[in-house]
Amino acid sequence: MTELPLLLVKTWVRTTSFIGKELTECVRRPGALFSLVLGPFLIMALFGLGYSGQRRPLETVLVLPPGSTLPRDASAYEQLGPVGGLRLVQVTEELEGARERLRRQEIDLIVIAPADLEKQFREGRQSEIGIEFNQIDPIVGNYVRFVAYRQVQELNAKIIELAAGEGQQYAIQALGSQELTRVPPQVIAQPTRAELRNLAQTTPAVVTYFAPAVLALVLQHMAVTLSALSMVRERLGGAMELFRVAPVTPMEILVGKYLGYGFLSVLIAALGAALLVFGLGVPLLGDPAWFAGVILLLSFASLGLGLLISILADSERQAVQLSMLVLLASVFFSGFVLPLEEFLPQVRWFAYALPVTHGIRLLQDLMLRGGTYADWQIWALAAVGIGLFLVSALSLRKSMAHA
Amino acid sequence: MPERRTSRLAPVLHLAPAMSGAAAQTTPSPAPAHGRTPVVVSLDDATKEFDDVRAASHVTLQVARGTILGLIGPSGSGKTTIVRMLTGSLAPTSGQVRVLGEDPTRYRRRTRERIGYMPQQFILYPDLTAAENVSFVAALFGLYWRRRSRRVREVLDLVQLSEARDRRAGRLSGGMQRRLELACALVHEPAVMFVDEPTAGIDPILRQKIWAEFRRLRDEGRTLFVTTQYVGEAEYCDQVALLAEGQLVALAAPEEMRRRALGGEVIELELSRPVETADLANLDGVSAVRWTGPRTLQVVAESAGDATPRVLQAIARLGGEVVRSREHRPTFDEVFARLVARHRAGDGEGEADGDD
Repeated sequence: MTELPLLLVKTWVRTTSFIGKELTECVRRPGALFSLVLGPFLIMALFGLGYSGQRRPLETVLVLPPGSTLPRDASAYEQLGPVGGLRLVQVTEELEGARERLRRQEIDLIVIAPADLEKQFREGRQSEIGIEFNQIDPIVGNYVRFVAYRQVQELNAKIIELAAGEGQQYAIQALGSQELTRVPPQVIAQPTRAELRNLAQTTPAVVTYFAPAVLALVLQHMAVTLSALSMVRERLGGAMELFRVAPVTPMEILVGKYLGYGFLSVLIAALGAALLVFGLGVPLLGDPAWFAGVILLLSFASLGLGLLISILADSERQAVQLSMLVLLASVFFSGFVLPLEEFLPQVRWFAYALPVTHGIRLLQDLMLRGGTYADWQIWALAAVGIGLFLVSALSLRKSMAHA
Repeated sequence: MPERRTSRLAPVLHLAPAMSGAAAQTTPSPAPAHGRTPVVVSLDDATKEFDDVRAASHVTLQVARGTILGLIGPSGSGKTTIVRMLTGSLAPTSGQVRVLGEDPTRYRRRTRERIGYMPQQFILYPDLTAAENVSFVAALFGLYWRRRSRRVREVLDLVQLSEARDRRAGRLSGGMQRRLELACALVHEPAVMFVDEPTAGIDPILRQKIWAEFRRLRDEGRTLFVTTQYVGEAEYCDQVALLAEGQLVALAAPEEMRRRALGGEVIELELSRPVETADLANLDGVSAVRWTGPRTLQVVAESAGDATPRVLQAIARLGGEVVRSREHRPTFDEVFARLVARHRAGDGEGEADGDD
């Protein structure tokens, strides 16, 4: 065999030796296998089965002014029509009692009905509907404000509708004019209404919407934790000493590890995707080849992140800590929980350095939209992967150099 | 430029294994003298410092092909540092290191393929079986599948681990793990092997087996650089380098090492009664005489065989009667203790001066 083919064959032999070693080691550690393979599946299954995505209606107490003739029975108000986002649990005149329940967080909202609504209206003044809540969560607080505002708008519209109806009856009786009845009272009260049309191919439920993001996050976390301990173990176990003597290059070690862990990652991702599509009914509207390509790129970039951690970490403990930091950063900055657009542009660059940021967007688009216009994120994901690979290769080369 | 100093030991310590009578006595060494045999391993004034600690200091030695060199010294004496300089894991702070004619920090791949290494610690993978570990190491050295499976079988047979080939390395006993590491170091049939404390924590019977294997490899023309803290194992080596506090105290064939420690060969005599022995030291070929008991004395001579008749005659002339005479062969523990003590006392060459 001539020089170059011999060299290539030996390079292949050395590189692929790591695939077998890594896979065998993973298989022989049932605990690790359980947490790495079954763990993500359980998380996805629990998420799919256990998360409703529906916000709980706000438990509301209506406080009537003293001597009010309005009904005291909460069910009587339900007959008036659906009250969006609220559930009337009590009607009372005891404001302090209601406030005490609010302080104890037994209820979410107190609505205080105005005492002299009709009189104020006739005198040309606005009546005040008091709304009290007890929230430190700004998101829930905003939701309460939104619901309260919407309820007041609804109430105002009802009052206008009622007044318009009465006015029309008066006009017919007093003036005999049918002209004034041509415009229905509800149109007078709400002259416009929104007609929504969603151009998206699907209108997924909350679980379906989040499922690709969960897959991306689980895949990145699994790949990072899988590979983050790898080089640390080689170093602490002393195998690096052997690698320094053997005719194996840092690049062969790295590529071998990428292939070994990449095989596992892709296998787990394929099983995860199958669970989503066939188990939870999440659609895969896009081209499966593109979907597979994104999974491959996400695995590649995530393994790079894990291997870089592994090369830089001093101990297994530090590698685990850094992996958890990556997970934490991914939850906050990837757009998984908080929209990416709400971050400062400078912070968004950090988010774009995380493979999962691109993975979430691309997998959601490919699965739920059938394609993506954010194709720049495919290139960005590839760039992150290549960048991490190069940095890992350089770091490994440095750490394998003689002391 | 690092300071270059020539070791005072260098000129006298470059001994060929063929000069070793002891080596010939234990197992005949096929290695001829340096002049005709290529030098495989050489350290020239090599020093390694870690911050303010000098782990190896101005070490100079050469090892010819087909030689077992035993690097012997107490724990922390710098043995592993020297091995790591030879494997390329550490670069010398000053001086020069050469293995197979190359600087270890710049080994070519081809050269690495000819080097075997058995580190001091167990570095294999506990979750892989014995056979899988050997196969992985074989693959690292570029052995193709067919040759790899043949060699795995052969080396496991060699180290008597065939029956344990499918057992996980982590579940093997300490001795079996050392043998497994030896199998890994041998699997690619290296020309030169660096073996760091192969017999540490191993029972004497297995130690014998391992040394027998080393000698077999040596007889095949391979060069072995073996470190050990069991000084008794010096007996199995063609050359012995004695290391203390990072410095080379002595480098010679084992029997020559004995001579240096004692100043020559030692005749031990038991007399029926004490006699005046001052004149014995003046005999031709005798360098020292000392009483070791009321009726026992040791005579240090250049050659015990030549000097013994003269000594017996002289004692008879002095009116003494020799009850028993024999050549005294000190243990290597004693030999090394003497050499190290002398080195620490300032006689850096570790050469016997016969005055003790």
